[in-house]
Amino acid sequence: MAKVTMIEAINRAHAWEMAHDSTVVVLGEDVGLNGGVFRATAGLQEQFGKDRVQDTPLAEGMIAGMAIGMATQGLRPVAEIQFMGFIYPALDQIGNHMARMRNRTRGRLTCPLVLRMPHGGGIHAPEHHSESLEALLAHHAGLRVVCPSSPARAYGLLLAAIRDPDPVIFLEPARLYRLVKQEINDDGQALPLDVCYRLREGSDVTLVTWGAMVTETLRAADKLESEGVSCEVLDLATLSPIDHDTILESVVKTGRLVVVHEAPRNCGIGAEIAATVAERALYDLHAPIKRVTGYDTIIPLSRLEHDYIPNTARITDAVRATLAE
Amino acid sequence: MTIFNLPDLGEGLAEAEIVRWHVNVGDRIAVDQPMLAVETAKAVVEVPAPFSGVVKALHGQPGDVIATGAPLIEFEGMLPTARPGGTAAASTAQAIAPTAPRTANSHGTSAPSRASAADAGTVVGNVPTSEEELIETAYAGRHAAGTPAAHGRHGANSANQPGATNLNAVNGAAPHSANGRLRAAPAARALAKKLSIDLTRLAGTGRGGVIVVDDVIAHANIARSPSEQTPAFTGGEKLRGLRRAMAQSMALARDNVTNCSIYDDADLHHWREGQDFTTRLLRAIAAGCQAEPALNAWFDGATQSRRLLPHVHIGMAVDTSEGLIVPVIRNVDSRSPTELRQEIDRLKHAARDRTVTPDDLRHVSIMLSNFGMIAGRYATPVVVPPTVAILGSGRLSRDVIAVEDRIEAHLRMPLSLTFDHRCVTGGEAARFLAAVLRDLEKDT
Amino acid sequence: MKTVAEFEIKYCQFLDAEGNLSAGAPALAADTGELLKMYRFMTLVRTFDAKAINLQRTGKLGTYASCLGHEAAHVGVAAAMQPDDVLAPVYREFGSQIWRGVKMSSILLYWGGDERGSDFTAARQDFAWCVPIASQMLHGAGVAMAMKIKGEKRCSVTYIGDGGTSEGAFYEGINVAGARALPAVFVIVNNRWAISVPIESQTATKTLAQKAIAAGIPGIQVDGNDVIAVRHTVAEALARARDGGGPTLIEALTYRLSDHTTADDASRYRDPDEVKEAWTKEPLLRLRSYLTRLRVWDNASEEALKAECAREVEAAVDEYLSAPKPSTDEMFDHLFARPPQSLLQQRELARHYAGNHNTEAGNRDTTEVGH
Repeated sequence: MAKVTMIEAINRAHAWEMAHDSTVVVLGEDVGLNGGVFRATAGLQEQFGKDRVQDTPLAEGMIAGMAIGMATQGLRPVAEIQFMGFIYPALDQIGNHMARMRNRTRGRLTCPLVLRMPHGGGIHAPEHHSESLEALLAHHAGLRVVCPSSPARAYGLLLAAIRDPDPVIFLEPARLYRLVKQEINDDGQALPLDVCYRLREGSDVTLVTWGAMVTETLRAADKLESEGVSCEVLDLATLSPIDHDTILESVVKTGRLVVVHEAPRNCGIGAEIAATVAERALYDLHAPIKRVTGYDTIIPLSRLEHDYIPNTARITDAVRATLAE
Repeated sequence: MTIFNLPDLGEGLAEAEIVRWHVNVGDRIAVDQPMLAVETAKAVVEVPAPFSGVVKALHGQPGDVIATGAPLIEFEGMLPTARPGGTAAASTAQAIAPTAPRTANSHGTSAPSRASAADAGTVVGNVPTSEEELIETAYAGRHAAGTPAAHGRHGANSANQPGATNLNAVNGAAPHSANGRLRAAPAARALAKKLSIDLTRLAGTGRGGVIVVDDVIAHANIARSPSEQTPAFTGGEKLRGLRRAMAQSMALARDNVTNCSIYDDADLHHWREGQDFTTRLLRAIAAGCQAEPALNAWFDGATQSRRLLPHVHIGMAVDTSEGLIVPVIRNVDSRSPTELRQEIDRLKHAARDRTVTPDDLRHVSIMLSNFGMIAGRYATPVVVPPTVAILGSGRLSRDVIAVEDRIEAHLRMPLSLTFDHRCVTGGEAARFLAAVLRDLEKDT
Repeated sequence: MKTVAEFEIKYCQFLDAEGNLSAGAPALAADTGELLKMYRFMTLVRTFDAKAINLQRTGKLGTYASCLGHEAAHVGVAAAMQPDDVLAPVYREFGSQIWRGVKMSSILLYWGGDERGSDFTAARQDFAWCVPIASQMLHGAGVAMAMKIKGEKRCSVTYIGDGGTSEGAFYEGINVAGARALPAVFVIVNNRWAISVPIESQTATKTLAQKAIAAGIPGIQVDGNDVIAVRHTVAEALARARDGGGPTLIEALTYRLSDHTTADDASRYRDPDEVKEAWTKEPLLRLRSYLTRLRVWDNASEEALKAECAREVEAAVDEYLSAPKPSTDEMFDHLFARPPQSLLQQRELARHYAGNHNTEAGNRDTTEVGH
């Protein structure tokens, strides 16, 4: 057992898998000698060599495209995009190839790879370093999108992602990278993909969230509990495909749903969750569904960043409004 | 004196160790002059003077570990640490407000941490850190299938267990409310709330037993959209408002109630001068209800349940130019005649002025139809669910009757009582009527 | 087999590291007025840069990308431009921007996390700092295309780093500029390091200038620490472009004397000897030597200049620190010319929670917008 931060958990997952599966390779900008700008891949090049841990030239499209080519040849690439905001040059490769390779060749060629990147804001970073673009990727059939919210889930879900025979976009909440430590067993055990994780049991309202917003949501739940409101909190974890069944089971129990995400409201994943609950559990709802989200603006620079990211107050207000219906 | 705290050095650490001071107490130093060297990791960082001034005190010696935000050095006098109106100074160091980590029972902010052995690297921004430990239990998936990934350890599930976690069943019905929670359409909930109807009293006729709007309406006898039927003629006027409401509620009554009527006459011969007919009627009904509570009740045929009501709220049919309206006179059993008269007048005016509120129409426990004010002696008034009785009072007339062996002319009021024989017996109805007659026939 | 094409890449330097002027130097080398002006700006930029780092170190600025060592590569380029040319920078070229009139306080505002910093008060058609690497290349090409269509005698000047030349957009930019003979000049600032990745690892080519060959445009290498060579080469390229002669790719060789940003630690991956050696070739040193040799500069002038630069920078810092915090409305007011109704509702919500960071708003009536 060891107490590790999320970034350390990610590092250990890499190390464990690379030690036990020689087909796993790492590529990206500054991932080798520098160990990654957040040190996610620290020490790996020393341990596994320059062929398996590569500092690539500076080109995101190239990183994504090369990973595809490598994957079709029996390697399992774990490629890093330095920040989610830099994913755009890679979208051609992701959308036109990564997501479709299996389908368009009827399974002859496949892409068992992970494309991982820091996600979200709140670290006072420069422009373009704080993006939450998961909805963009979730809209691609053939892609999995995963977002851990704790060191243990980062470890277990990354292992699952690496072992998955299909491409996984792995979003790592940057402001959770070093926020807390957690005990994990570095034993190579993966956690299931495609399921929600129930972090808190409750009976009055269901809160669904993911990534760094899990922290604010749990704090909001604490506050509400002191007011006699019992909140059930689900970490979506796999953002696509969504585990609707667990959400539905919870909503049927509580009758109320609030979805919380940092990404902008319009066409966010919260909308998909709300629509499905409306389709399949409308008669169990005691109040309309609420979404607490980033505004439909560009996430501002650091001076206004914390006015953008949903805070505990907005979450508790939304829950109270739901209960007042 | 002015204290300068250890700033956030932008490497995400919560503290730093003093390596070496470049200045001494008493030195006059200039802004940007290197003040001291601190070690954050393997790298040593020079901290420049934030402003010019004379050093008053050093808050630490080489080897001391200072927390970010803790006092580092003191200057003489009051020096500008931030410009008025400018909050740029506050922006990076303070505003990061690292979210309190989620330990099992902590609401606290982060505690200072040891400088970690490796640098807490980042190439941009400030990644918040703390020494707090996360203790959590996370259950994967649905209750039935969920296994705890407990205590921060990843659980026993193997990767990608497809098993019990059903992906995107496209047409599945919602899981059954195993815990007895009410399943009702949102519109039905809203309507029931508006009318203060208890949903648990209703059975749902929607798919899967869901309570729908029609169920609420049926329960409350409120107008609803007429169902489509083949018209018997064309060119008619489509009913609206009160007329439509009446058409609907009477059809509903016909479809559900088992009407049975008893007729009698009240002999008002002994009435004193100046009796208020309407309030006497109301009082008499209340007396009837007290004698026979079975007629002051609600009945729900669908669930075969009956609720005896504690108070007498008489719905008084009122004829308006727009149609029939039934405002309710509440708590007849406990009001004085004066209060009753006031309330009757209020409601009559409101009905005429079309200012009757939904509240005025609620909670009828028994009904009165005073058609005799116009014409007619006996009638077959219609019971409107969920009530179970309606009393009709006919035209007063001077009737020739036999009193023992004599012939006399007495003022009499015909009464027609209809009751719902599904839940009121003939005996109950008769006893009710007897009590009504007894009270009505009193002199005052 | 016969050879169908051959190429050569020339290297241009007039002032060596010790401040010695070579033969064949252009007239600019004798224009002490211009040289002094450039030296002053280079000194100002260096002073500003040091202060910006200090601001970051004292918690008053966010992460900042230092331009230490790049002064000639930045000032020399801007000095060759006309005011109505358009500059598309990366995120480090403060020397170019300050020469062209961008306020130092604007630069600080931006790195301090305030978008108003990008609303330049001068050079208003210049692009703002570009973080997604190489995407600015296409902007420079587009600007040049517009100028060509409109028949203007203006040019675009686009910067890119050595790392950026690995991006697809780099080639797309020079290719279309070449194919359409656009009035564009592209300047690669090869400071040898892309965060932790050295140039040798970035590409197999001997020079970056030769990537011009793939686009069919002239490519030339220049000593990026020699402000005379930089300005001269850019001026020639601009003259050619203005005359309809098409684009040029210029590779300015220099060294990143600082960390990639204030949050980077280059000692993790760089040899300190290499850095020490690079300092001997730095741009201000050689120019000062040359000016001193020409007897137009001395210690007293140096001290006076430093003091004046310190004053100017201080004034800029004051202006920056006094800037009032932006209101939450700023998040909403600049997305569209005409904001949609739904956005105005969200603006209300943001006002309601303004300044309320991770604290309770209390039990209020306001609910999430959109319900």
